[in-house]
Amino acid sequence: MKVEIPEELQEILEEFLVEAEEILENLDQDLVDLEANPEDKELLNKIFRGIHTLKGGAGFLNLTPVVEIAHRVEDIFNKLRNGEMGLTPEAMDIILEGIDRLREALQMLKDSRELPDVEEIEELLSRLDAVLKGESPTTPVSSEGDEEGSSSLEGEVEFVDGISDKLKELILQYPDRDLAGILEEIILMPPDKRPMDVIPEIEKLIEEGKDVKDLVKKKETKPQEKEEGEISEEEKEPQKAITSESPSSAGSNSKTKTTSKKAEKKNSETIRIDVERVENLMNLVGEIVLDRNRILRVTQDVEKECRTEAVEKLVEAVTSLDRTVSDLQVAVMKLRMQPIKKIFSKFPRLVRDLARKLNKKVQLVIEGEDTELDRSILDRLEDPLIHLVRNSLDHGIELPEERIAKGKPEAGTIRLFAYHEGDHIVVGIQDDGRGIDSEKVKKKALEKGLITPEQAAQMSDKEAYELIFLPGFSTADKVSDVSGRGVGMDVVASTIHSLRGSIEVESEPGRGTTILLKLPLTVAIIRTLMLGCNGQVYAVPLHSVVEIVRYQEDQVKEVGSFKSFMLRDEVLPLFSLNELLEVPDSNEKAFVVIVKVGEKLIAVSIEKLFGEEEIVIKSLGELLSDIPGIAGATIAGDGRVVLILDLNSLLSDYKTKLIGVKR
Amino acid sequence: MSSEVKGRELSVLGVEELIGEIHEKEVQVIAFMLNEELVGVPIEQIIEITNNRDLTPVPKAPSFVIGVMNLRGKIVPVINLKEHLKIPYQIPEDIYRRNKIVILETPKGEVGVIVDEIVGSVKFPESDILPEPIGTVGIDVKFISGVVQLDGELLILLNVESIFNQEE
Repeated sequence: MKVEIPEELQEILEEFLVEAEEILENLDQDLVDLEANPEDKELLNKIFRGIHTLKGGAGFLNLTPVVEIAHRVEDIFNKLRNGEMGLTPEAMDIILEGIDRLREALQMLKDSRELPDVEEIEELLSRLDAVLKGESPTTPVSSEGDEEGSSSLEGEVEFVDGISDKLKELILQYPDRDLAGILEEIILMPPDKRPMDVIPEIEKLIEEGKDVKDLVKKKETKPQEKEEGEISEEEKEPQKAITSESPSSAGSNSKTKTTSKKAEKKNSETIRIDVERVENLMNLVGEIVLDRNRILRVTQDVEKECRTEAVEKLVEAVTSLDRTVSDLQVAVMKLRMQPIKKIFSKFPRLVRDLARKLNKKVQLVIEGEDTELDRSILDRLEDPLIHLVRNSLDHGIELPEERIAKGKPEAGTIRLFAYHEGDHIVVGIQDDGRGIDSEKVKKKALEKGLITPEQAAQMSDKEAYELIFLPGFSTADKVSDVSGRGVGMDVVASTIHSLRGSIEVESEPGRGTTILLKLPLTVAIIRTLMLGCNGQVYAVPLHSVVEIVRYQEDQVKEVGSFKSFMLRDEVLPLFSLNELLEVPDSNEKAFVVIVKVGEKLIAVSIEKLFGEEEIVIKSLGELLSDIPGIAGATIAGDGRVVLILDLNSLLSDYKTKLIGVKR
Repeated sequence: MSSEVKGRELSVLGVEELIGEIHEKEVQVIAFMLNEELVGVPIEQIIEITNNRDLTPVPKAPSFVIGVMNLRGKIVPVINLKEHLKIPYQIPEDIYRRNKIVILETPKGEVGVIVDEIVGSVKFPESDILPEPIGTVGIDVKFISGVVQLDGELLILLNVESIFNQEE
């Protein structure tokens, strides 16, 4: 079904989509929480409000299928929160299905401005209806709910004079709503049940600055003035909106509704920014930083040469500038950082569904979800994490009977956590399942020809665990549709490595497994070793360097036309950086950098060593994109460009040239 | 290529269809010297002109690449335009000092080219652009989008697109 949205509503649609996405994201988490605490009134109310907002927005935009589903889910939650029915896992499944359907529909709407046809969702709707009828056969909640509400409130409430009975009824029906809220409710009612005559009355009251609190005399009345102050503040926005939309026809009313909603939403304001703009900002800030460094240097020189009051003031101003620029730099860096919550929030649902499918009982504990990570890392972390959690559930956590037999609690626990550690972020998954059997892993690796028997014999447990990350390895006896979906642990490993992270596995048979992913805070910044060669400075990523030793003539042996370097009792092939880069060689070497290429160590002699530095990687542009051995460039403190070398590809390129064939 | 065609079409339209006063589209180019030739690039394709920036040589890069420079936080390659155009050149010792670098917007991103001397900005009506007289200038026709006769001097208009799309 194609959805036609008039031009003037496009913006509202966009806003609705963003809002709906947020609501649905929170819902997943809330629903799973709810299953654990089905009695939590606050949670129920929160869910109800979320769905209600969604329904309202969809109704305004005439997105019928969305309204239909949301309406039923809302009704169910209304019953739940009024204690009219209990929550069963089966009902939850259907509710979750409804939420999924909503999400799909909204995605469709976003991608192609289409919605599923009403016929397509009929089956789901009838099942939702069944849930709704499940415990108490009475249907729509709107009429049901009032009586509930009124009976609970009636005793304590007294109205001021001059209010129509209809309005009194409405106030009782929606006890926790203000007048604007009641107006909203009226608009959302089916047209034939809409009490049109009350609308002007409510509008008049709102115009007068009154609200439910002014109409109701509660036993514990608060001081009048304070209340009024509160109300006028709260209600200012919606009130304005309402007065401007005076005629009380249904259409204009629904507009009022969205406007007032917008006003309420103010407190959690966010804007979405194109990543490119942030990058641009980063570049500009980088420039300011360089300029600041230059100014600092000049100021110091000036200070040395003359000491006047003016210079002193200049120094003061520059010092303050220095501080502000540093703060600015951090602030801009932070723009790219997002809390890991963004992906963690998907797991409660995932774990719940999987656990049900596998007939296992699992409790998910999430810690450190506010830990922030660079967005580009975050985006690529999701799939590996999903895979690892699936693995834990599928292979780690045992079936309830098995757990009881082992004397463990019936429900397994999976802990998903994240925290800072130095300049790294650690993301981990811990389960209290059966752990990894290192002997079984070795046997499997042997069978698959991934290791030799000698290797297997020498291998420590920890080394054995690493085997699970090798391509072509899978410990599951049968490939289930849970973890055997083509993406293996090797994909997890390669993704983490490509992010310059590392993986650590700890396991204790029978007690559980912990997998730790160590990730850099950001991919844009890397630690490098600054080297000098032929008068130029080059940066080499530190993660490829194994060790640095002094160059000593007596440790160099000439073997034919090649050189080799004695490192303790190992003989390593030796190349000079100059020959690798094809630049003139002065033969004055000071240090030897040992690099790991594949499984082999190779020595590279260099002329100068400037130490370690953190740098921001920049691309060399399209024209120079495929120069072998150059991974990119960075801008040094003095504004000059420093090239980043990829020793690995530099060496393999050199090898190909020596042999004269391309492999 | 494209601007040459456009230029002629426009002038045809101007004469035949719209009789009377019409304002002809003006072309503004930045003119500079390459050896003895006066060449120009439309001003829309020029990002900036700079002298004397620090260049970092790039080992193993094609020989026409002189190095990379920092342009407001962006890394921009700087090339020897003469070599790229296959016209005679010698690199003077102080190439970074004496010559100017013109930063162009190209299909391969921003690229700096080294030129001998900036002559200045020239404006002329689009209809003045003539097709390239084959063999009279030292630059391959495929890199040229046309020529303009300016008081006794011939200005060669470079075609930035074709220059930077030629590789491989």
